[in-house]
Amino acid sequence: MSDAPGRDRNKQDNELVLDYEFDAPPDKVWRAVTVPALRERWLPGADLAEAEPVSSIAGEEVSYRMREADFPHRESSVTFRIEPNESGGTRLSIVHRFAPAELRQWTLRAANTNRSMMRAA
Amino acid sequence: MTTDIFKADIFKALGDPTRRAVFEKLAGGQMTASALREGMQISQPAMSQHLAVLRGAGLVREERQGRFVNYEIDPNGIASLGEWLMRYRSYWPKRMDALKDLLKDMDQ
Repeated sequence: MSDAPGRDRNKQDNELVLDYEFDAPPDKVWRAVTVPALRERWLPGADLAEAEPVSSIAGEEVSYRMREADFPHRESSVTFRIEPNESGGTRLSIVHRFAPAELRQWTLRAANTNRSMMRAA
Repeated sequence: MTTDIFKADIFKALGDPTRRAVFEKLAGGQMTASALREGMQISQPAMSQHLAVLRGAGLVREERQGRFVNYEIDPNGIASLGEWLMRYRSYWPKRMDALKDLLKDMDQ
């Protein structure tokens, strides 16, 4: 296998940018990343806010919203970019971002949950 | 269970609008208690009380610098970017191993 380990090239401190190389051709990697039954095999729906992508450019890039299964259920966005590499395989870039907006969202959610807990009490 | 106590503390800490505002200010960087009070209708003892609750929930920590005390988001706490980055730095390599396995299976 010539699959290379991830290369880390973060530009901002609130995001992870990772590159992976695969022997498989781009169209095959694209299917693995976007066909729900295949995606579920390596990126479980339990880690996503919704199973459907937020946006996609066919064959090139697809974005999902992620939501942590455990409290405080932080949300983030991840984009997978797919392109052919020099050796006939695929370069998969992961851009995973945890934005201040997400931080605010979960603090608000904690506040709402707190209110409903008080109502229930 | 300790995690339930921990959850209850975070709910309590962020359920209050003033504490949420303080927490969001600190998300922009460390500040002293008096800088935090700027633009807020809040007494010094009340601010100290709110900061104590945020500290108790592990969301915020204090750092003493001479006569001043700075408050900041606890870098080891659940709210911090550091904790988030650490989690996903180990998450993605595992996911990529699973993707590699799937790609192999798709050949068959």
